[in-house]
Amino acid sequence: MFPIKIEPTKAIDEVLTTQRKLAVALQTLREVDDVDFGVTAKEAIHREDKLVVYRFKGPHEPTAKVPILIVYALVNRPYMVDLQDDRSLVKNLLAQGEDVYLIDWGYPDLADRWLTLDDYINGYIDRSVDAVAQHAGVDKINLLGICQGGAFSLCYASTHADKIKNLITMVTPVDFHTPENMLSNWTRQLDVDLFVDTLGNVPADLMNLCYLMLKPVRLNQQKYIGLVDILDDKVEMENFLRMEKWIFDSPDQAGEAFRQFIKDFYQGNKLVKGGLKIGEREVHLGNVTMPVLNVFAEQDHLVPPSASRVLADHVGTDDYTQIAFRGGHIGIYVSGRAQREVPAAIHDWLAKRSR
Amino acid sequence: MGQSPNPDWLNQWQGLSRNMLNAWQDMARQAGVVAPPQAPTSPWHEGFEQWARLFASGGGAQSETIERIIDSAKGYAAFMQSALAAAANSGVAAPNWGEAFRSGFGIPGAEAMPFGGDLLRMLRELPGQGGGYAAIMNALGNLRPPANADLGELKSWLNLPAFGLLREHQEHYQKMAVAWVEYQEQMARYNALMLKAGQRGYELFEGKLTEREQPGRQIDSLRALYDLWVDAAEEGYAEVALSTEFREVYGALVNAQMSVRAQVQQEVERVAVDLGMPTRTELNNIGERLQALRRELRAQGGGDLAREVARLRSEVAALKAASKRGETAKPAAEKAEPPVQPAARPAHKKRAKARPAREAEPKKAARRAVAAVAPSSFSSRIAKFADASLGRGKKSAKAAKSKKKR
Repeated sequence: MFPIKIEPTKAIDEVLTTQRKLAVALQTLREVDDVDFGVTAKEAIHREDKLVVYRFKGPHEPTAKVPILIVYALVNRPYMVDLQDDRSLVKNLLAQGEDVYLIDWGYPDLADRWLTLDDYINGYIDRSVDAVAQHAGVDKINLLGICQGGAFSLCYASTHADKIKNLITMVTPVDFHTPENMLSNWTRQLDVDLFVDTLGNVPADLMNLCYLMLKPVRLNQQKYIGLVDILDDKVEMENFLRMEKWIFDSPDQAGEAFRQFIKDFYQGNKLVKGGLKIGEREVHLGNVTMPVLNVFAEQDHLVPPSASRVLADHVGTDDYTQIAFRGGHIGIYVSGRAQREVPAAIHDWLAKRSR
Repeated sequence: MGQSPNPDWLNQWQGLSRNMLNAWQDMARQAGVVAPPQAPTSPWHEGFEQWARLFASGGGAQSETIERIIDSAKGYAAFMQSALAAAANSGVAAPNWGEAFRSGFGIPGAEAMPFGGDLLRMLRELPGQGGGYAAIMNALGNLRPPANADLGELKSWLNLPAFGLLREHQEHYQKMAVAWVEYQEQMARYNALMLKAGQRGYELFEGKLTEREQPGRQIDSLRALYDLWVDAAEEGYAEVALSTEFREVYGALVNAQMSVRAQVQQEVERVAVDLGMPTRTELNNIGERLQALRRELRAQGGGDLAREVARLRSEVAALKAASKRGETAKPAAEKAEPPVQPAARPAHKKRAKARPAREAEPKKAARRAVAAVAPSSFSSRIAKFADASLGRGKKSAKAAKSKKKR
């Protein structure tokens, strides 16, 4: 039997439907406003260079005694965790009674060209942790690191264990040399010294191009074909545009920090192999002795689950929990299932350990 | 297809295309958008272009999304065109779907990889100093060696030694040209791998089609067919992109491109120096020194300096206590472990509170002690940095110091 059974009339119907939706889109897209994002009220509690630490304000006072500080990746903007009213990790954590703070790294420019991982981790993160602890009136706080921010949080927790009560890592790469890691494959023979010496800061457009090329047909074409289905729906279009804005609203990368991250993490895989030094401090995951919750996504094309789940084998804690979430790297914050499952799981896990 | 395809498909398809294009043109005319004078080569593509033009005057945050929709819709239209044409041309026989889609297995976005077009534009637009340089840059920007060109031979010519007054310049131009040829070599290797990824995607697509031969699993819509094609294309691409060969080729390509950029930057710097303008290298050097200085100051603020301040505080406290008792004080400073102050803490307020209001002697002692510490930390380092940045040597720094003493 032949594999394709497309009725001519149905095929023509499909084409006409596409055309009709495009025509309606003319009106819809003109009605769509510029999208906003970051819906939860917040106050700045600490500023330093381009960095701002925010505390989010929920409708009620938090019931949790130990605050959470979210450390996001440098490669995207952190408002993904508070994208819109019905897609907000922050809002859902506040609803559970958590006290949530976040580091906004800002947009590095050439003045930040020489920032190293030492400046980021032992400098900015350390001072942000102190600021949050002081603001909340506690000695130790909970750290929630996301993606690259998760790798930074692991480094920080291993070298400043006295300041961290619980560590949560989300979609965090730990072993950078697993076979499904496409980004890692591409960086292994990169002359990163020549790269950074030539480019200075690494342009955001270049980073975005790399991410698109991880799944070029889906991300450059199929996604926009799928968009035709929702072209006549204003709300869905706004959701799409908000996400689209986040994807391409990327900061440049500070050159020196990028150089070190590629060399030590992607090429050297030192987080698991050992020998990683951030400034004067040696990083050993065995020194991560506080309770650890590791949340990763099973369909993650940026940080394959295999890169994350090995954390269990390397941390020094006896209290390690991991959650494999059904979804992708972004879905873990914005999908409907994520809204229900992820904040509740984090809150339940913390509630047992933050007393 | 299982049943006979409709022999009138091609006519229907072409009629539909014409109708669609007419409808878009009417809409565009009503919106006051002027269509291009030339006849469209593909009515579907032109239809999408018309649609895009309707947005052109609006601008706004959606414009980039519109462009992406248009690009994707064109790809999808090409796919549908291939599918329907295959069905229409097949007469009563089963359409040759495989052949219809073989040409469609390119990788969207691969042509931009890794921003080669950007580099080409930069080379063409780069302003040059003197006709020789401009001519070389123009030639480089337009240089596209034929696929079977002997690049080794070309490189050996470019490596010939240079002589005379302008030998340094000529040597640099030759290096730049060699870097460009090497970049072209690497680009050819990369493109070959992209072609391989497309071919592999096609093989996988054939396999996926075979899997759909069972009753109930047949594909019954163009969209489902397109999605299957996307799955196959992604799988084929992933196999190649995860290979060791790709790792080597990709790395070599990016490295080659960076070499070209670095050579161009060096030339730009030479021009900047001639024009008396600051260069990127100079700015980088200043930025690096400044960052190093900030690091040192921060380290002192959280380390030595904090300990020093804590020692002085306890000394003041001891002196205060002693003066109340009418004794000579023994500073307790050495005994006490200094408290570590987080950077965010408003320490100056606490210090202000702790400062004794009317006790002149301890205050003086503290001030002297701070003055003894400060020159070796803040002021002298800042002066050193300023000297270094302004190109002044130790001599002028010393002069500044002795002036201060006077």
